[in-house]
Amino acid sequence: MPNTSNPASTRESGKAGPITAVGFAVLLAATALAALIGRADPVAGPRVHVVVIENMRYSPSILDVPLGDRVVFKNHDLVPHTATSKGAEPFDSGPLLSGQEWGFTPARPGTLRYNCSFHPTMEGSLVVGEPHKLAAP
Amino acid sequence: MKIQTSILLALGLAAVPAYAQKQPTDAQIAAIVVVANQVDIDAGTLVAAKSADPEVQKFAHTMVTDHTAVNQSATDLVTKLQVTPEANETSRALKDGGDKNLENLRTLSGTALDKAYVDHEVAYHEQVIQALDDVLIPNAQNAELKALLVKVRPIFVEHLNHAKHLQSRFN
Repeated sequence: MPNTSNPASTRESGKAGPITAVGFAVLLAATALAALIGRADPVAGPRVHVVVIENMRYSPSILDVPLGDRVVFKNHDLVPHTATSKGAEPFDSGPLLSGQEWGFTPARPGTLRYNCSFHPTMEGSLVVGEPHKLAAP
Repeated sequence: MKIQTSILLALGLAAVPAYAQKQPTDAQIAAIVVVANQVDIDAGTLVAAKSADPEVQKFAHTMVTDHTAVNQSATDLVTKLQVTPEANETSRALKDGGDKNLENLRTLSGTALDKAYVDHEVAYHEQVIQALDDVLIPNAQNAELKALLVKVRPIFVEHLNHAKHLQSRFN
């Protein structure tokens, strides 16, 4: 009976200490790396901007988009919507059912006005401006 | 009496049943929601096939699509909540009103059809929004049912504004 295995006491043995320490070190390193990547990301590369479609509105209705960034429309309403522009740089999500999303990357600077082809009172604008500046070396 | 009366008056239905003396239950609200959507689906289906006006056709298609989606959400929710929609005087009156509207639309064509449909859509959406605000949302007991009613309200508001825009072409 005294030799009956007891997993709880095994996990509490001294041998578990170094393994836990290594794991902790790996976790710290991974966290530091993630922090570095996260810090560099806003200035180093394209980003994704989300326009939520909810309550029969685009939110935000006016969005500044640096050239090169991607815009994603997410439909949170119960009914289908589109994001459709017939301007200088036409784009069209096509029907987005509830829960669906669609994205694109504007190709040139300017203001892109769009609306929902099903619900013409819904309107929004993308103001496409200067691209992000790369981080200084 | 007051609450049921206001639903009926809001929906343009003058006859108030003598027994309508209590607030609608969730099961009754569910039936009202389903019928209210269905009558607009039926009208939209008829006009989408019969109208020659592209803008009216497009609006009618949108009404069919949107009210079908709302009804699907309502059906999914009552199924989940194990609530059986309970027909009541208001839902029956709504159905009768929808049938009469269909009968009228079937006799019309051309601009007369388009105008009658759009006029009815303006009145219908105004009345449903009022019913949502005054009766259905305040009396919904289940939080998810109430949330659904709140979520569909902006849909009716957009439809109303769209219908008013179309209506301005005929007046």
